Amino acid sequence: MTETERLALASLLYQLADDDFLYAYRGSEWLGLAPHIEEDVASSSIAQDSMGHAAMYYQLLEEIGEGKADALAHVRLAHERKNSVLVERVNGPGYYMENPEYDWAYAVVRNYCYTLAKKVRIDSLKKSSYTPLAALAVKVNMELYYHLLHWQTWFTQLYQSTETARQKMDAALERVLADFGDLFDYGEASELIDEMRLIEGQGILLDRWYQALTPVLVDLNVTLPEMKMTYNGRNGEHSPDLNDALSTLGEVYLLDQSAVW
Amino acid sequence: MTETFYQEFEVFSKRTPNAAFTHQFSLLAPNKEMALLMAQENFMRREPVVDIWVVKRADIRGMTPDEKLMLQRLDNKDYRTTKGYGYLKKKWRHYEQQMLDEKEIMSWQGGDSK
Amino acid sequence: MYDATHLFEPPVMTEEEKLERFKERIENGEKIEADDWMPDFYRDTLIKLISMHGISEIMGALPEKEWVPKAPSLRRKLGIMAKVQDEMGHGQLLLRVVEDLMKPYGKTRADLMDDLFTGRLKFHNVFHMPTRSWADAGTIGWLVDGAAIITQTNMLGASYGPYARALQRICAEEVFHAQHGESIIMALAEGTPEQKAMIQESLDEWWESLLMFFGPASKETTGTSKQDVTIAYKIRTKTNEELRQNFFTKYVPRIRSLGLIIPDPTLRFDEETGQWIYAQPDWTEFKKIIQGGGPRSKERLALRQTSYQNNAWVREALAETIG
Repeated sequence: MTETERLALASLLYQLADDDFLYAYRGSEWLGLAPHIEEDVASSSIAQDSMGHAAMYYQLLEEIGEGKADALAHVRLAHERKNSVLVERVNGPGYYMENPEYDWAYAVVRNYCYTLAKKVRIDSLKKSSYTPLAALAVKVNMELYYHLLHWQTWFTQLYQSTETARQKMDAALERVLADFGDLFDYGEASELIDEMRLIEGQGILLDRWYQALTPVLVDLNVTLPEMKMTYNGRNGEHSPDLNDALSTLGEVYLLDQSAVW
Repeated sequence: MTETFYQEFEVFSKRTPNAAFTHQFSLLAPNKEMALLMAQENFMRREPVVDIWVVKRADIRGMTPDEKLMLQRLDNKDYRTTKGYGYLKKKWRHYEQQMLDEKEIMSWQGGDSK
Repeated sequence: MYDATHLFEPPVMTEEEKLERFKERIENGEKIEADDWMPDFYRDTLIKLISMHGISEIMGALPEKEWVPKAPSLRRKLGIMAKVQDEMGHGQLLLRVVEDLMKPYGKTRADLMDDLFTGRLKFHNVFHMPTRSWADAGTIGWLVDGAAIITQTNMLGASYGPYARALQRICAEEVFHAQHGESIIMALAEGTPEQKAMIQESLDEWWESLLMFFGPASKETTGTSKQDVTIAYKIRTKTNEELRQNFFTKYVPRIRSLGLIIPDPTLRFDEETGQWIYAQPDWTEFKKIIQGGGPRSKERLALRQTSYQNNAWVREALAETIG
């Protein structure tokens, strides 16, 4: 592997790692605050699984010489992060320690759309030319069965319930689709990632995502809002939400990066 | 406050393919799909599980304390247990043969018979 | 449908006879189950004890989750997420036990939440306290959970079956919590001078709260104590003071072995009496905290209440899907 190729691989791995890292963080903000206790317990497993996936990607990055996994997770600044802007967005106004006005409809819709996209990407990664990544994808796939069933069930049940719920879900779907544009994007390294056959093309995956989602929406009589791109997270363009997230995530680690915790 | 806080579901699970279903704990959920979704992570996070049943408590025909009285039986039925046939051991010894008791017979599962 | 059972009416017992029979069952070590007859005071004592226990687990998740995002490594983030999940899980198991006990009164989980928000239902003092540093996250896992393990293991033989079974599961998971806490503290104790200072400060802050966790030794200290019923009816076997003494025996040597100084210079073991001598914590402060006047009481309750209200639409929506 040449250095340019290694950098392209790293770019993709950062996207995958940062996605799950932020997704798990936003999921963990719901701890203790979910609509009912059994759901609190069940959905925290999903956040844990995803943090575990992020750790696996950071580990792979460490193996290709990018640095220590914990440092990659905690030190990099916002402009160095490659996650989709979708996963960095707050759960709602308010800080999770004081008066958070978190929106469960947004959580369900974001989680469902993200998990479906993750499934599409993982299926493609199982055929990656980089074998350690393909092996990782097989492992991640195993846990996605539950994640997808979980969020799909919530998505459909809420849409099939009250008028209030439908309205909230519709509003959430708008917000989620407005940030979805960069999810299947590969940023500046797109061409090389494609040439190296690390993962299939953006258009192909987006198409599969639509194909998986459409029957569900048709059944529920829901129209998918327009997909937009606000920021391209894959190129290090992020919203202010990410800065706050990163300063919390790194708060203790950054006290002393050489310490053992 | 008159909120409907869903219904009780009893959760059963199998640890391994050859095990029988055993009862775990109960949870609150609005319907059986949700109940199934909650089951593993709530009760079996740290153990192997290969199958799960969720059953609405309202669908279970249980027994009242008074009805449990119907479960009582007299202890006079050794005609149908090995206890009632223990005297055979001495008889077989007289014929210089070993008694085919429970321990012996269950050991035949392995396939050996001398 | 012809019901023949009326021909077999069990002998009618007076209330005194039922109570005598119940006491016999307890003395024989029999387990009382959810649908067994039980005297009101036994049921009410259990409801009070277990609902406080369950709600404490759920409220306890809130100070701990503050450290989930901040945990200083991927592995620590995962460990704390799992621990907080367990606390919610314990809350779930215990609330289910209480809910079944409250059924004859027509009360549900929604009523428990109501009681929490109006201050009728109280939770352990330790969860009203602030968590200021990463070391506090370790102290909670090591010493607060340590204290909880001592009180909970004491109830593993509880006469009420559903509670005993829930405690079985809970205690097993607490072992991981204790080790997780120890592992955080150990890393700090073996770390930089700043890290060592962090745990000493944490211990200084938490010491009194830990002592208070076990409750007052007797009624005289704060005016109430449920110890007598819970011991007489074999829900627990040891008194508050005995449990606190156990805590000293198990933890004081370990704390000191790490080079930490316990912020009570009078603390010592008296060979003659076989008791630990120590400075009493401020019990009037304890009473105030339990009644919702602790440093973080209002915020945490508000946090719970806000999210509970904000999510009402979800519960209403799902009520439509009941089937």
